[in-house]
Amino acid sequence: MNEIKPPRIVETAPEGDEWIPSTCNLCYGTCSILVHKVDGVAVKIEGNPKSTVGKGRLCGKGVSGLMTHYDPNRIRRPMRRTNPEKGIGIDPGWEEISWDEALNEIAGRLKKIRADDPRKLSIQRTTTVYTMGLPWGAFAPGFGTTNVSEGGGGLHCGNSAHQISGLLHASWGVLPDFQYCNYALYFGASKGHAAGHNSNSNMAQAADARERGMKMVVVDPMCNFAAAKATEWVPIRVGTDAALALAMCNVLVNELGTLDIPYLKAKTNGPYLIGPEGTYVRDGETNEPLVWDSKAGAAKPHNVADSEDMALAGEFEVNGVKCQPSFVLLKEHLKKYSPEYAEEITTVPAENIRRISAEFAKEARIGSTIVIDGVTLPYRPAAAIAFRGLQGHRNATFNFFAVLLLNQLVGAADVVGSCLGFNPAFDGIPETGRMGYKPKASVDGLMAVGTWMAYDPPYPHPEPRKPEEMGLQDLFIMGMTSPFFNSEQGEELWEKFDMPYRPEMLINYGANIMMSIANKDLIAESLKKLDFIASFDLFLNETSDFVDIILPDRGYLGCYNTRPNTPYIFSHPAGMGDWSWAIQQPVVEPEGEERIFADVLIDLAERADFLADINTAFNAVLDLRGEHRLQGDRKYSYEEICDADLKNNFGPERGLEYFKKEGVVTWPKTPEEVYWRPFTDARVPIYLEWMPALGEKIQAISGPAGLDIPMEYYSALVDYLPCQSFECNHDDFDFYTFYYRDTLHTNSFTMENAWLDEAAQLDPYSYNIAMNTASGKQRGLEDGDVIQLETEKGRQVKGRVHLTEAIHPEGLGIAALCGHWAKGMPVAEGKGVFYNELLELDWENVNPVNLTLDLCSKVKVTRVEESR
Amino acid sequence: MKWGMVIDLKRCVGCYGCQLSCKAEHGTPRGIFFARVLKQEEGQYPTVSQTFLPVLCNHCEDPPCVEACPTGASFVWEDDGTVDIDHELCVGCRTCMLACPYSNRYFNDNDQAYYGDQGATPYEEARTSQHQEGVVMKCNFCRDRRQAGKEPACVANCPTVARHFGDLDDPKSNVSRLIKERAGFTLHPEKGTKPNVYYLPA
Repeated sequence: MNEIKPPRIVETAPEGDEWIPSTCNLCYGTCSILVHKVDGVAVKIEGNPKSTVGKGRLCGKGVSGLMTHYDPNRIRRPMRRTNPEKGIGIDPGWEEISWDEALNEIAGRLKKIRADDPRKLSIQRTTTVYTMGLPWGAFAPGFGTTNVSEGGGGLHCGNSAHQISGLLHASWGVLPDFQYCNYALYFGASKGHAAGHNSNSNMAQAADARERGMKMVVVDPMCNFAAAKATEWVPIRVGTDAALALAMCNVLVNELGTLDIPYLKAKTNGPYLIGPEGTYVRDGETNEPLVWDSKAGAAKPHNVADSEDMALAGEFEVNGVKCQPSFVLLKEHLKKYSPEYAEEITTVPAENIRRISAEFAKEARIGSTIVIDGVTLPYRPAAAIAFRGLQGHRNATFNFFAVLLLNQLVGAADVVGSCLGFNPAFDGIPETGRMGYKPKASVDGLMAVGTWMAYDPPYPHPEPRKPEEMGLQDLFIMGMTSPFFNSEQGEELWEKFDMPYRPEMLINYGANIMMSIANKDLIAESLKKLDFIASFDLFLNETSDFVDIILPDRGYLGCYNTRPNTPYIFSHPAGMGDWSWAIQQPVVEPEGEERIFADVLIDLAERADFLADINTAFNAVLDLRGEHRLQGDRKYSYEEICDADLKNNFGPERGLEYFKKEGVVTWPKTPEEVYWRPFTDARVPIYLEWMPALGEKIQAISGPAGLDIPMEYYSALVDYLPCQSFECNHDDFDFYTFYYRDTLHTNSFTMENAWLDEAAQLDPYSYNIAMNTASGKQRGLEDGDVIQLETEKGRQVKGRVHLTEAIHPEGLGIAALCGHWAKGMPVAEGKGVFYNELLELDWENVNPVNLTLDLCSKVKVTRVEESR
Repeated sequence: MKWGMVIDLKRCVGCYGCQLSCKAEHGTPRGIFFARVLKQEEGQYPTVSQTFLPVLCNHCEDPPCVEACPTGASFVWEDDGTVDIDHELCVGCRTCMLACPYSNRYFNDNDQAYYGDQGATPYEEARTSQHQEGVVMKCNFCRDRRQAGKEPACVANCPTVARHFGDLDDPKSNVSRLIKERAGFTLHPEKGTKPNVYYLPA
């Protein structure tokens, strides 16, 4: 052996270096970061330990951001197409132009459209940088269009997840209270396992919970991410989660009777009396829904009777009308979901359904309390959560609701250890009291959110109308995003509804909708029809083939954002701990002529003569007050607006300069904020009383136009309703495909990042099609074979198969939105599988309540090439 | 003292934060990883389990790579027991790579830039191009960071806090305590290399 020697390696510490605080945006998780710069070059990105968002640590994507920033394939100058022909793979013949030329042309078109009908402008944004929405939130109303969409409402949006989380937890999403939960039941979710909202902080919290002994039971067709770390993986047939969740509810209600009765009485509409029509029986005078007061032996308005006296059982007669508490109807309804029935649907053995239900019920410790920071609170250390996976089906709304109903039955909602909404109650910035929000009682005593991220909150909803919005969300008022926004299928629907206008122009911000919705040919047709498309982008991607003018964006390391984590319902750690308010600021100079997109929007507003209107919109969106209000048609830089926003909220001492230096401000949460439910006099629905009437109203508009609403999706009591893929019964079509998010990739964006791409190539799953080993062997397939998947309608996709024990025998799992073909993303080109190629984009494949697209398909598999 | 690392497989979720924060810290060329994540499947459907196994140089107490090195380039630091390579002495014969039972040594003969003909990015010029070509490279427990008083990049960054770093000679250190309390184990103990990277069971 060689002898041990003294040091010979020269070590030098970098000199003149700086660490600049900002926010990551490789996904919408927006963790706080520090960027290390040496001699003007960014050489490292680390988490910012001063912030609770990420807690100083980053996932693989976050630490790889520099490869995206310095990618030589980035667009560095504005460009205009020279080839008028638009089509998939047709070279637009880009020529570089000046910013002046680009903006004058765009502004000229904006001016013309605005004078004609501003709705003819549509705006499409990517969900990856969803948190950079403020400038768009001012530009769109300032211009006068409501036609704004995020990523096309396709694969990556949690339409139903957000809506039902909002309805039941006043938040954008839910997760277990990792600090106290003892039993977490996951359905199609990987919270805490390297993906999604608040990804990094959740990872640490979930790991703490595992170490502490929290049991985690994960229902998923595939044993990856969360399921890999679970105490128990429950493989399920793709898209059948509602059947399982409802069977569990049935076991709780009708077999075990383990229910939190005081909670159901006080915090749900379970006691509300329902008449023969299925609607609330109302007080003649106040019109409030009635409950049966057992003590008084009479019906009383819900806001008059004491909740403990409210009946949850029995049949009553009120003013000559026979009625029952809605809980009775739910109880009866659930009886059809026997574990045996659910086993047939889901393949999960009935005995396991009973066992897991009993474990969940026991762990909920109904009736117990705990003291947190001196406050006595209900203690329900069990949580059922769900996310993107189970809601990517036609039955999206009910799938999600069915899971969250489990929490309602045992009172495990926004109390210690339970299912938590992300931060739906916030007392405001301590020094100024600004920006606070909390859930409150609204129509019929049901809860309305304190803050929301989209136009229409989940409850109460606006009245549906004959649609005038491109995505039809003014008819399907529970839809937040719509796959019909930019698709030829939209055109068919617009014709049916005599839409008074057609979109003529699109401004795109980073979305690659050719890949992110479904059926790219329908998207291509709709894009071709537009007169003009301007697009802010980092790379020339598949959608760029249809763009007229490309504008180089500075990316997340070159922009300002005063609110990357607020409102806190989107991406901020839940549970006890701290609040952090971070900002995003430019940390690197542009490599070429890239500009801050917000300044470009303001520039466009000036050139198209609506500066005063965009200023008014900024004042409204940011709620700027007093001296901070933007004045008249003065032109502000976005930096100035950010300064106004921060001073408006934090006071004159803490404007942009303060935050640029400090990066983040942090202060502690209170138990009343975190566990707000007992302190909030609002109920949530276990019976969706208004839904059938809403369905009828929509049918009254859509029916005459030739679009019939399947009313079973508008039932007051949730059901399992099968996907379109279940209609395909040909013998050789025997696999259900499903899509899942990869830890290494965000949307269709990160495959161009050379480090992430390299890691994904080495990962056994990222770029391959996962198939159960036995299922593959039965069909003579070997690991690494190239296979073709084909749907009944002939849609096809090819990819390499990875045989694994970790997947349901009928499922085929495909990660992320890979399979790029654009030459402008050479690292990404040809990598992985383009899942969306399998998906139909039509009315039959969306949830008829909120237009969530079904992401499963049934396919036959053929081998096209043997493994290498 | 003897630096050692403990990786808690119960906490690790396979996010690749270690692999990529290491790459970001050192700017290692394409195909070279001082830290990696391996995924292993065990059992049969439906009673299958998946293990995410982060690996790196084990900084063995009896390092076969050091023994195999004909030039003396591979060596053990006297003061802290870490295994390192003196690139002034390395002739790139790769004998050490054959000797390492863990395949955690890499020969730097790849393109220095990730984007090939498009040239090195400013980041790569600042970091990747500092690496000597034609030599063997590997993890040195982030010597530069340690000298600046920081933990290795993979440890400081791990989002699940699965990685711990400390003095194995000190029975009271976090690493010694974890190994004792949680039955820490090493990879391929039968090779007799005495690794200083330990794992805690999932």
